[in-house]
Amino acid sequence: MLLANKEGTIVTGPVVNLVAAGVAGSLVVFTIPVLAAQLIGVKSVKIHKVHLFNNAAGNTSVLIGNGAAGVGVPVLLPALASMNNLEDIYDNMPEVESFANIVAWPAALLAGGTIDIQLEVVVIG
Amino acid sequence: MPDLHIFKAQVGMFDPVALIDHNVCIYCVQNRYYRRVDFFEAIPPFQCIDLGAMAAFGIGARTNIANLEMANNEFGLFRWYPIDDAQIRLYHPSGVAKHQLRNLQVPVDMNILFRDPNLVSTEIAVWENQRPAAEAINGHAFALGGVRLIALGYRFHTVDLESGKFANPELVEALKARKEPSTPVWCSGRAMGD
Repeated sequence: MLLANKEGTIVTGPVVNLVAAGVAGSLVVFTIPVLAAQLIGVKSVKIHKVHLFNNAAGNTSVLIGNGAAGVGVPVLLPALASMNNLEDIYDNMPEVESFANIVAWPAALLAGGTIDIQLEVVVIG
Repeated sequence: MPDLHIFKAQVGMFDPVALIDHNVCIYCVQNRYYRRVDFFEAIPPFQCIDLGAMAAFGIGARTNIANLEMANNEFGLFRWYPIDDAQIRLYHPSGVAKHQLRNLQVPVDMNILFRDPNLVSTEIAVWENQRPAAEAINGHAFALGGVRLIALGYRFHTVDLESGKFANPELVEALKARKEPSTPVWCSGRAMGD
């Protein structure tokens, strides 16, 4: 069951495997809902929680933005540290609101390493 | 007579629209039925329908909510909300849009739980088997495993004042002339421009 909080509905995005470093490697990690049938009711999201898992990617950081995949910038939050072979969970972050799809990319990756990322967002609208 | 009416708002649970021995006038599309309530009980929150799995950005088929049908001589008063993040368009009966503005049929989504915690704006009444129907719209880029609606409210059993054992033509005339009190209960939507 999904939950409603004081300002919107909390939903999760998919688990995305980040395989390439830098903005060129940015991938969409949450897609803004589109009300195709209603044609009204613009939606936006605030990031509520970020879960990272580092698959032998070395000590690095992950950046989150709302440019398109492969573009990345502008960034929405400061870099989030990701430690080698460990999970990192971030919540209680600044309630940055995005009206565009959210993308993420690692600052650097060791050869063969990847980072899994999943977002929990508050949908507003 | 207590101050009872549809859309009555208060903190927490909502009031029944009539009490035992109260007269009601059931409006159902173009029909009116003059009745008296002889029994009512609360209906706790329950899952009245699962509109089914929804593909990403999908629009579901209009589906009758058969679990909101009432027995003969009964009407139900319900408020409802979805527990999956789809927008719901309600029809009552199936061919008549509810929550209809001139340019938009207003949908209900999970945000109703904090924007209208008493669910007053979702209140509907159902006469006998004249059940509503619903459509779901998934705006997300991912599929939904189901679109479930929760309803809660009251069930009212009534007796017929216009014919049969409890017929009272004088009272019905007085009700029609507004000389005796009765509570109007709209048990359907209403077509635009009707």
